Amino acid sequence: MILFDSLTVTFVLLLTLAVIPNLFYTFGYQSHIKRKAHFFIHYFAFIASMYGVVFASNGLMFLFFWEIMSLTSWQLILTDARNNTTIKAARFYFFMTHFGFTFLLLFFLIATNGQLELDFSAMKEIVSTFAYPTLLFFFLILGFLSKAGVVPMHVWLPYAHPAAPSPVSALMSGVMIKIAIYGMFRFLFDVLNMWQLEWGVLILVLGAISSLVGVLYALSEHDIKALLANHSIENIGIILIGFGMGMIFMTLGLKTMSAFAFIAALFHVFNHMSFKSLLFLSAGSVIQQSNTHNIEHYGGLIKSMPITAFTFLLASISISALPPTNGFLSEWMIFQSLLGSSTISDISLRLAIPFSVFALSLTGGLAIACFVKVFGISFLGLHRSTNAKHALEVNIMMRTGMILMALVVVSLMLFTPAFIYLFDQTMMQLSHVSIYHTVFPNIWSLHALSDNKGVVSPLILLVGLIVITVALLLVYKVLKIKERRCHTWACGYNTNAVTQYSATGFAGPIRIFFAWLYKPKEQIEKEVISGHQTKFVEAHYQVHVKPLFEHSLYDNMVKFTNRISYYVYRFAHFEQTKYAAMIFNMMLTVLFSYRIFTHDFSWATFALESVVMIISIRVLIIGVKR
Amino acid sequence: MSLYIFSILLMMLLSPMLLSFIKLVKMFLLYKKPISIFQGYRNLSKLFVKETMVSYEASVITKIAPFLVLSPLLLVLFFLPPLSKGEYYVSFIDAFTITGLISLSTFFLMLLGLDSASGFGGIGSSREAFISALVEPAMILTIFSVSVMAKDLGVAQAGINLAEHFPQDHIASFLFASISFFILLIAENGRIPVDNPETHLELTMIHEAMVLDISGFHLALIEIASAIKFMIFGSLFVSLFLPFGVGLPVYLAIIVFLVKLFLVAGVVAVLEVNTAKLRLFKIPNLLGVAIVFAFLSLITFYVLGA
Repeated sequence: MILFDSLTVTFVLLLTLAVIPNLFYTFGYQSHIKRKAHFFIHYFAFIASMYGVVFASNGLMFLFFWEIMSLTSWQLILTDARNNTTIKAARFYFFMTHFGFTFLLLFFLIATNGQLELDFSAMKEIVSTFAYPTLLFFFLILGFLSKAGVVPMHVWLPYAHPAAPSPVSALMSGVMIKIAIYGMFRFLFDVLNMWQLEWGVLILVLGAISSLVGVLYALSEHDIKALLANHSIENIGIILIGFGMGMIFMTLGLKTMSAFAFIAALFHVFNHMSFKSLLFLSAGSVIQQSNTHNIEHYGGLIKSMPITAFTFLLASISISALPPTNGFLSEWMIFQSLLGSSTISDISLRLAIPFSVFALSLTGGLAIACFVKVFGISFLGLHRSTNAKHALEVNIMMRTGMILMALVVVSLMLFTPAFIYLFDQTMMQLSHVSIYHTVFPNIWSLHALSDNKGVVSPLILLVGLIVITVALLLVYKVLKIKERRCHTWACGYNTNAVTQYSATGFAGPIRIFFAWLYKPKEQIEKEVISGHQTKFVEAHYQVHVKPLFEHSLYDNMVKFTNRISYYVYRFAHFEQTKYAAMIFNMMLTVLFSYRIFTHDFSWATFALESVVMIISIRVLIIGVKR
Repeated sequence: MSLYIFSILLMMLLSPMLLSFIKLVKMFLLYKKPISIFQGYRNLSKLFVKETMVSYEASVITKIAPFLVLSPLLLVLFFLPPLSKGEYYVSFIDAFTITGLISLSTFFLMLLGLDSASGFGGIGSSREAFISALVEPAMILTIFSVSVMAKDLGVAQAGINLAEHFPQDHIASFLFASISFFILLIAENGRIPVDNPETHLELTMIHEAMVLDISGFHLALIEIASAIKFMIFGSLFVSLFLPFGVGLPVYLAIIVFLVKLFLVAGVVAVLEVNTAKLRLFKIPNLLGVAIVFAFLSLITFYVLGA
């Protein structure tokens, strides 16, 4: 019933590291929640169900806890149910999560021959005799990746995360979507382990696309939590790039390289959990104090909320993959495994992988831009609204939660060797070779396994940075430089909140450059004085970006379904004579197709019979138009 | 070891002179009376004794960011390729970390621009974010291709490998990579086709706009940082793409290195005199060229080499 191996231990550690700071934060946050009983029942059930998924050892247990996890998180999104957008978001989440669940159920029904109580090891034997493993692979990735929020099944994330209370979004984004990655590790290694090269390539491509799409939509977003949700899409993409490279190396027989890539993916799972939870917790504090989600209304919060601001800064540096933070280390490992493609002998694959290097590096650059935007606009400068002016530092429990989470981030940075050792053990149990001693010959430097001898020493970097900065600060102190305060020079005008740069303006160049993707709707309203637009006192500029996938894929799907249902509706409202005609036509179809498929096929009879069918449908069912 | 420290100090001390040299060459070419080559030092010494102005609108970020802009770049100086053969060098940091450290410095520079609540700082940060986001892929692809050619990702070891076994079979990929890196050198340092470092006009406001509200010691730090950034890119270009003369005796090798460095600075100056600044939305085209050349370099390496 209960599974307990090193993969479980790894993910239990992940859950525990995320949950403990979150509990502190939630108890500080609870005064903000209206339906407390409803919230706490579902909150604890949610946490318990995630542990349950990780511990489950057979299909029935897994599906049961998976479903509990989906339902409780759905109810948690509905905590503030009076809001119309919340209900919409929750409904969307409900549909998306059950879309994935259906495919998981299909997978389990096939993989267990219908006996869902079978253990995973027994499932492995059934699966190995199944003739179409690719079908099972597709069921798995549709099921898990729709939960993880990979393009094109990512659309629910930017709706669900802002609607949920902040500690819940921290859990959903930090841990729940990682449970899907756990599922991929568990089932792709333990159950469905006759991989083909194309699977890895597919995962790699999906990862590269999600990372770019996620960060691009994050840049255009001004709702702080939706922005962070879009970054989850990006980071899941980065994890999948590592995972896909691992699968590619594995199918090519490069065992050590694949272990390195999988360890990189696991490490990024941990890192993303730490900094994304921290970002959501800090963002939650800001939202609680300022009562708005829009970063255009923040500004200058670093003066009144220093702890929130500095935890947010730490997480921003880490998520932007800047050295010497943990985010940099895992992204570095993923880059190294991509560069390891120069050892692949298949030339087409070797030429194709630099494109994911390109996608990943562009993602990195845009992520830096995005976090400069978020941190700079919300915490620096002047207060952009009265709400921000009245913001104060949050209560002690919430602060404790944020500081504990910041400690998790820092410990992932400082104790990298220990974590890599844990992941190495996990990969060994999943039938890989141990690479810990080649990656970390000493605890100072982290080595890559590819031919090009990449190496980084996180601790030396950290110490070096601190030493140099402190030395410079000492010089500043020794020189005893006088300091004068003054107002920022705004060309003779007063410096006030309106003259600052806005988030819309900050993302402007990038939005204009990627206008082919964003297709933004711009609105400019100027005040008109007696028919003249020359002198305007007030002007409003609004730009709205609707995600391309949502627009093209989902809206068009809805339109298509509507059209089909219209014809079905028309069929249901015929006169009785036409029902008889339909039955007649159906019989004709059956007879004709029997003839065509069982007897010798000839184009002449096929054409003749088609003509007969078309005429009879035209005359009997559709009828002659009056 | 003493040579290692000497070369770092040399690079640190020479970096303001390099920028003054570019200015000198430019003024000479424009028939103006050239400034002294020591003008950079004079400016800095003046800034060091001035009092610093911190605006009421600014937060603690303004006080710490200038230090954090400079310190990653100073750290990078320790990891650069050696000037001569047999010299000590650091081999435990690779090229990715160097790009990361440069991005860390840019990150704090952008925050500095947003901190003083001035519209100009915001313009500068926004444009810098745009450009540096597009520089990143070209940079990493170029590094990838150079590391494949030099058979090592660490820049120090790569410089030595290239000096010892120049990849003559791959001269085409090598050239493509060098073109791409030269464009990056111009873009990252805000030289003319991308940004004009000498004016404070709104049209050219990228780097200078971010530091408009900084003064005194803090400004001196930022100025040193931009000089050192040019030095980093210049010396990387010199040791990776002009890898000759490293095997000579120590003093000769250092002189050859300096000659190459000033040659690169001279080329930048000539380029600046002969081109106009690009519109902001034309800059992606230039960076696109860099990205394409980096890809071409890799592809030619794979197709011809394997």
